[in-house]
Formats: sequence, structure tokens, C-alpha cells
Amino acid sequence: MSSHTRLALTAIAIILGVAFVSGTYVFTDTIKGQFDSLFTDIYQGVDVAIAAEGTGVGSADVPFDESVLDIVTAVDGVEIATGGVTGFATIITTDDAGDPKIVQNGGAPTLGFAWSDVSRLSPLSIKDGNGRGPTTSSEVAIDVGTAAAQGFKLGDVVKIQATGEAEDFTIVGLMSFGDQDSLLGATLSAFEMTEAQRIFGLEGQFNSIGVAAISGVSAADLARDINEALPAGIIAITGQSQQAADLSEVNDSLGIINIALLSFAAVAVFVGSFIIQNTFRIIVTQRTRELAMLRAIGATGRQVIVMVVVEALIVALFASALGVVVGIGLAGAIRSAMNAAGLAVPPGSLVVLSRTVFVGMATGVIVTMLAALLPAYRASKVSPVAAMRGETRVRKTTMRKRAITGVSISALGLVFLMTGLFGSVGNAIANVGGGALIMFIGVSVLAPLAARPIANVIGAPLPKIFGITGTLAKENTKRAPRRTASTASALMIGIALVTFVAIFAATIKASIAETVDEAFPSDFTIQSSQLGEDPNIPMTFSRDLVGQVDALDEVAVAGAFQFGEALINDEKGFITAVDPAKAESLLTIEPAPGALDSLTANTIIVSEKLLKARNWTVGESVTITTPLVEDVPFTVTGTFARTEFGDYLISTEVFTQQYEPTGDGFVAVKLAPGVSLEEGRVAILEVTDNYPTTELQDKSELVADAEKQIDGALALFQGLLGLAIFIAVIGIVNTLALSIIERTREIGLVRAVGMSRRKVRKMIRWESVIVSLFGATLGIGMGLFFGWAVARALEDEGLGKFAVPFGQLMAYVVIAFFAGLIAAVWPAFKAARLNVLEAIAYE
Amino acid sequence: MQPTTTQGPSAARIIDGVKIYGEGNTEVRALDGVSAEFEVGKFTAIMGPSGSGKSTLLHALAGLDTIDAGEVFIGDTELGSLKDKALTELRRESVGFVFQAYNLIPTLSARENILLPLSIAGREADKAWFDNVIEAVGLLDRLSHRPTELSGGQQQRVAAARALVSQPEIIFADEPSGNLDSTSGAELLSFMRKAVRDFGQTIVMVTHDPSAAAYADRVIFLDDGKVVASMDDPTTDGIFEAMKDLGN
Repeated sequence: MSSHTRLALTAIAIILGVAFVSGTYVFTDTIKGQFDSLFTDIYQGVDVAIAAEGTGVGSADVPFDESVLDIVTAVDGVEIATGGVTGFATIITTDDAGDPKIVQNGGAPTLGFAWSDVSRLSPLSIKDGNGRGPTTSSEVAIDVGTAAAQGFKLGDVVKIQATGEAEDFTIVGLMSFGDQDSLLGATLSAFEMTEAQRIFGLEGQFNSIGVAAISGVSAADLARDINEALPAGIIAITGQSQQAADLSEVNDSLGIINIALLSFAAVAVFVGSFIIQNTFRIIVTQRTRELAMLRAIGATGRQVIVMVVVEALIVALFASALGVVVGIGLAGAIRSAMNAAGLAVPPGSLVVLSRTVFVGMATGVIVTMLAALLPAYRASKVSPVAAMRGETRVRKTTMRKRAITGVSISALGLVFLMTGLFGSVGNAIANVGGGALIMFIGVSVLAPLAARPIANVIGAPLPKIFGITGTLAKENTKRAPRRTASTASALMIGIALVTFVAIFAATIKASIAETVDEAFPSDFTIQSSQLGEDPNIPMTFSRDLVGQVDALDEVAVAGAFQFGEALINDEKGFITAVDPAKAESLLTIEPAPGALDSLTANTIIVSEKLLKARNWTVGESVTITTPLVEDVPFTVTGTFARTEFGDYLISTEVFTQQYEPTGDGFVAVKLAPGVSLEEGRVAILEVTDNYPTTELQDKSELVADAEKQIDGALALFQGLLGLAIFIAVIGIVNTLALSIIERTREIGLVRAVGMSRRKVRKMIRWESVIVSLFGATLGIGMGLFFGWAVARALEDEGLGKFAVPFGQLMAYVVIAFFAGLIAAVWPAFKAARLNVLEAIAYE
Repeated sequence: MQPTTTQGPSAARIIDGVKIYGEGNTEVRALDGVSAEFEVGKFTAIMGPSGSGKSTLLHALAGLDTIDAGEVFIGDTELGSLKDKALTELRRESVGFVFQAYNLIPTLSARENILLPLSIAGREADKAWFDNVIEAVGLLDRLSHRPTELSGGQQQRVAAARALVSQPEIIFADEPSGNLDSTSGAELLSFMRKAVRDFGQTIVMVTHDPSAAAYADRVIFLDDGKVVASMDDPTTDGIFEAMKDLGN
């Protein structure tokens, strides 16, 4: 293998890490740019935007009385003003079996609007030649993209469900959003104003008002004038400020995606750095004689360091530049994948900022330099005489010293980890992440000590199965424990992370099953099948549903629950509202005696845990701020033990006064005695089929549904961490290829005395498998520990049941096994092709 | 000088062997129509100045290298027609090697190194023969040592034992004593001669050292890729004389 190939393999590790970093930035910057132009479309003609001030709680627009429009229109300088109404409106079709099916692309929202003919104040417009806007209560316009995807034509009648039951509408127009046929995969439907207000439960109200100024009047002046006219609680700001505010909200959520992707990038870079360091160490070791000769003829140790480091720098610059380019391609690929998944990401050039290039390059160069520095330093310490004699081993760290260093580093990492998990010092996530990182380094320092014994155990069957080929494979992994260990360390990290994620997922699943079993005495639950903006607050559905289900003969009791965000004594929390009369039979919250009965006007009951944490007592007076009202006094009148339904409970009656009464979030149903689950299901479905966005589930379906979601998230994590395993495999290829160079003569000899090419390949292959399995052993060990520690830390958060998915862990071992086989393909091929004569004569 | 003929059956022979390295101006005819036979049960030395083609000849005979024209036989098998797999098998079954650089596997003990060719072939060692060989090379108390724990002479004796233990039809030795001091070298060569005399082993050895060649039953001299002379039952002085003649 030429030095080109050798460096190319190092470069791949750098390229992948850098590509992930820069790809992340390009992707989020591009999305950001698209939202930017989207909001520009929305606020194109809007000089002033008017909205209710709200209380700062919750993200939904608070509606206000439509009479405000007249006040605004009367202000001098206003050319035209229109009221806006928005809500969720889901289009319903039927599937092949004739059952109702909701139209939704991935997780994109289903948005409904009031149609406005004032095109300069609305991003929605009828696409030329595709009908007109809705003018009567039975008409609707939908976006061109959804119509095309569903095969809707003008004149078709579709079912649409908003807050009430699904109703029929005739499609009279197909709309564009700005100049796009679709809005990021969302379904858009627009209704005549009064109809929109009715179906969204906003009779006589608007969510917003858009204002266009007479030409020559500045937006800022107009906003000031309008504000003077507006009643308290409603404010006007310029369209530009509103746009900036919306954009910063998007930036906040993109920031989370950015951090998530960058942490995967960090894993890739971290794993890559092991490989880079290992490669440079082997290269330096192989060149020890050359370097020693240079030292002998007068080169200083410093010059030797510079030589190695400069070589690393050249590789780093080249590979990082390539990494940035690959990253740009990666971002494009992610976008195509999202398009394929039904999220219509508008085309447009990818956004490559100079920051992206800089961060990518800097990451690649700095990591490579750091990784190369230690081997370079060691090379400079080689005594020239020893090296010239052919002692290629660089100064060996003694076992004792290594053990002490490794244990100290691991212990430091453990302290950080435990502080993050159980303590309250500093940022918990940073402590856990940093602690895990340090522990990885610590364990990789210790790994060479374990390499021989573990390789002995893993490789034990080989000599028996493959004879001398197996013996040679086993012995080869033991001859350079440091190399075996650092090669395996890269794989260890990837396997440890997937193991941790798998254990975490299994623990959540086991805990959910247990919780559902214990917390729900009810037989069925009804929830919306759609995702809302806030994952903590389920999407709501019609209030009529619960009454209709409760009235069924097969049903003993059906009760509705509502959920909302609130500030309780200025701390953010989530409030659950129940019907106190029904709560006892539908929930197992283990209330203190009389607690549920005490739920009347302005009383609240809280979990025992929270009461303790806040240092409250029963009788405590607290204030609550909801999206609608500010600082309403409540009295804590009781406690309950189980927190599956949150820490704060109030009565539904009170809830509807504090929150916009848009619908129910959750219905629990208990069947009448003697009614079977199937009979009950048939009866309830008669009702819920009229509300296609709802989903009826019994307990086992509820658990299965939750498990499915967790499995989805697990698959995503495993896919991303698969990248780390991929990089680790490249590391194994690299180390094997380099060690084959070192062993050229040996391979030549075994070939000369009659080992076939096939057996040479087999020898390299099994060597590789032992190294991979060693990495998997360490990784699963660490992953188990991390999983256990995190599960313990979150024990009180509902993760009571620590579970280990043995099947999955076995699968990782099998993956490591095959990773080893695959990694060996090319080096084994190279080794088998060595020219026997040249190999024997190799110096 | 006449190419010599041998009396007994041949363990290996080459007929009109040609091996060319490079092209045009840089063309070197390492073997230039060489013909030679190596009799069963004899110790033959190949001598010649640097660049005479003696190592190339050895490699061609051993199936480690191919020739451009002519034929090479081990026993009755012509090597030119064999693919890598068959050549590998032939080396494994019929040929033993001793190299100048001992070429031992550092991760294996002396015993494992000696048994390596048999292990690769998946064969068991003949216990009596193994003991015989070990006793002859004097390594009985060194069998569990790794190569790094052995002296140069001991390492080369391990290499020699490795070649002998599988009882190949022919052993090729390339400057086996080249890296050894004179005492160790003498020990090794005596052992090789003993293997031929006592056990009937066939050995072909390349050397440039007349005193080493004197251990052989017969010496052939190579120059410019051709056999230019041969000598039976050589002595060191006789070889020196012959080399002087050839130099003229």
C-alpha cells in the first residue's frame, strides 16, 4: 500500500466528520432561507399587523372581537384592513376499504384560513385559470399541491373537519401560497369568512388583522396611530417587525435541529479523531528508522515533530476542503429525502455561508492536528540508536502508568456524568455529554490492558476451528495491544451509543406498558391522531364527542380531559383539566381523600412530589397565568400521588374559563359491565367515525402506538449513529492495511511455505473480526452502564422499569462481526496478492 | 566448459531457462538459457558472482518466480503450467525453504514455527522424525521460546528445522549462513550436510562463500545467467581455484 492510500484512508475519516458538520449548517441555513422568503411572501403587502397581546403563555394566537376591524379601518392613513382567521382544518378522503382517511404529509400541519379577496394582504391567491375564492358557506379553496397529490378537481366535494364534525365542501378554487404550489407539505384550505369563524369556533372573532397603508404613510407611524386607537390588550406592530418575530421563532426551533444534528456530527468527529490518531501513530512507528536517522544526522526532536505535523496539516486541509464539499452534497441529499417523504421543501439553491466553510475547515484541521501531535511527540523522543538497531517500538507506556492515567480520566468522566444525572450543578446535558466523552477517552486509555485477555477469550475458538490460520489471526491481534485497542475504541463509541439508545428506548417502553396498565382503569381512550405544534399539548377535537359516547348503552362512563400550558407562580407548567365526578373512575391518580371533590371554582390540586419540591402546603395560594388571563389566584386544596397525568389538576369547568374552549384533548371510556371489548369498540366507532381526526384505542393499542413512536425515534438514532460505526469500520480497514505492511515478510513467508491466498485472506478476516468484537464488547459494556445510569436518574420521571433489550444487543454484536468481515475485505485482498518474492525480501 | 550431467534421478531441473528483467537498454537477462539438474539425495551449491543469476535460478526452481522461456521441473511436475493455487500446493507439499533473513513468525514459538508448514497443510508431524530433527539442530530446550528470545544461529536452525520437518522432496536455501557468525554458520551447514547424508534429504543452496559451498556434494558455477562450470566433492581451495579460472 502506498503512502497515498494510507493518507487517503485517514482523509476519509476527516472528510466524513467535516461533511457532517458542514452539511448540518448548510441544511439548516437553507431551510432558514426558505422560511425567510416564505415570511416575505406572507407579509409582502402587510404594513401593519394587529394581534391580541396575550399573556406570553402558549403559542396560539389569542382571538379578539371582530369589531376591532372597524376601529382600525377608521384610523387615518389606513388604505385597507382585513381580519384573519386561522385554525386546523383536515381534509378527509376514504381509503380503499371505504374507511375515512385524513390527508396529511408526514408531520406537516393541516391549515385552514378565512379567504380574503384583498390579495395584497394575503399570501394565498387563486392560481390563474383554477377557479375562484370561496363565497358561500359550502365552498372551499385548497392548495394546488394537495389537489394534485390527491387528484382533486374543481367541483369535487370533499369532507373537511375543523373543531366540530367533518362536513362537506365543494372545491371552487386551487390556491398558490406566494408563488409556490405548496407550503412545505402542509395542506391549505380557505373558507368564506363567516364559515371559517364558525368551523374554527371563533364566531365574531379574528386571530389577526392585516393593514395596508395609504402610499406615503410610513408603517411605523401608522402602527403608532393604530395603537392609540386600539383597546387594551390588542397591539399593532409593523409587518416587518412581525416578520422578524416569526422568523426568530423559526430560528429557535431550527436551533434545536441544528444542535441535534451537530451532536451527531460531534460523535462522527470524535470517532474520526481516534482513527486519525491511530493512523498517524502507525505511520510514525513505521518510519521510526527514517526519523531516527534524521535525528542521528542532527535533526532536533522539534524538527521531527514539525515534519509529522506538517504532513498532518496537508492531509487535514485537503480532506477538510473535500469534507465541506461532501457536506453540501449531503444537505442536498437530506432535502431530496424530505421531498420524497412528502414534505415539499421548495427548490432553491443551497445556502453555503462562509461561516459553514470556516467551521468545517477548522474542525477538520484542529482535530487532525491534535490527533497527530501525540504520535509526533512520541516519535521525537525515540533514541536514534535504538531506532537504527531496528527496534521499531516507540517508548512504551508502562502498564502501571497507563492504568493510573486511564482510571483517573474515567473517574473524572464519571464525576461529570453523575453530577449531570443526579446533581444540580451546571448544565445537566452538557455534564452528561461531556462526562460520557471523557469516559470514552478514559476507557480507550485502559483498553490496551484489556486487549490481550479479551482477544484471548474472543479468539479462543479460532485455533480449534481454523488451525494455524486461526492461531495466527488470534496472535496478531495480541501482538500490538495498543493498536488493537485504539482501533476497537472507535467501534466501541458507536456501539456504546446505539446500545445506550436501545436500552433507553426499551426502558421507556417497559415503563409505558406498566404505566398504562396501572394508571388507566378505563377500557378505551380517544385522542387526536394529529400532531400539534406543542408536543406537550395534544390536538383537540369536538366537545360533542364525549357526550355522544357517554350516551351509548355499552358505555358506563366517558370523560373528557383538557390540557393547557400555564405559568404557576411564574413557573412554566402544564395543567390538566378533569371532570371531578368522573376522574375517580377513569384515572388512577391516587388522590388524597377529598382532593377530587375539592375541585371547584379556582381550586387546584397538585402532585405530592411537586408540593414537596415547591415547599407548598395544602391551602397555599398560587397565581396562574394562561394564554387568556393573567395572575388568577387559585388555592391548593389537595394532592395526588401518581403523575402520569401531570402535576396540576383543575376542573374542566374552571379550565374553560381560563382557556379558549376549542375542544377536548383526551377522552377515557369505561364500558358498562358485561360489555366485551369488541362490542364496545363497535359501538364507540359508530360515534368516532364522524370525527375522522380522532383515534379510538384500547390499552394494548395505546401501548403499541407509543412503542411504535419510540421505535421510530430509535431507528432514526440508530441510523445516525450507524455513521459512527461506518467511520469505525474505515478505521479497522486502515489499521489492518497498515499492519499488513508491517507484516509483509511474514505474509511472504507463510505464502512461501504453502499457505494459500484463501487462507491468508481468512487469517486477516478473523483478525479483523476479533478486533471488532473486542470493540463491541467494550461498547456494549459502556452502553449498558450509561443506560443504567440514565434510567436510574430518571426513575422518578416515569422510567421505573429498567429494561435491557438482549436481542438488540445481540444484533449489535452480529453487526460488529460483519463490520469486521467487511472491513477485512480489501486489506485481505491486498495481503493475498502480495508478491511472495518481494514480500520475503521486504525491508 | 561442458554442462554436467548427473547419474541418479533428478529432484529438480531447469531446461533452457530464460528470465529477463526490464526492457530495451535496461534489459537484463538474469537467466540466459540455463540448464541444470539436481540429483535426489544430494547437497548442491550454486555459486557465482553478484548478478550471475543464482538467486533468480533458485527462485525459479522453487516455484517462487516464473521464467520467460524454458521449463522447470520439480520431480515430474512442470511448473510453467501451474496456477498460483497449484504452485502454492506444490510448495507446501514438496518444497522447503531456508532464507538468509530467518523469516520466522514472531508471534509463534519455535515449535510452532517449525510445525508451521505442516500446520498450514493441516498435517500431523511424524513424532519420531520431529524428535530426530530437533535433536539434530539442538533446539530441544528452546522449543517454547519466541524468535526474539533466540540468537541468530538458533533462529536459523529453527528455520532449517522448519524446512526439514515436513520431509519435502527438495529444500532450497538462499545464503542460509549469510547472516551468521562463522561458528553458527558452520554448525548450520554441518547440520544441512548431515540431513543429506543421514536422512537422504535433497538440498539446493545458493551461496557466494566458498567455505560454505565446500559442505556440498557438488557445486555449479553461474555467470551471466548460464552454468559455466561444475565440481563434484568440492573443497574450499578447489572452489577458490575454479573461481580464479572463471575470473580469467
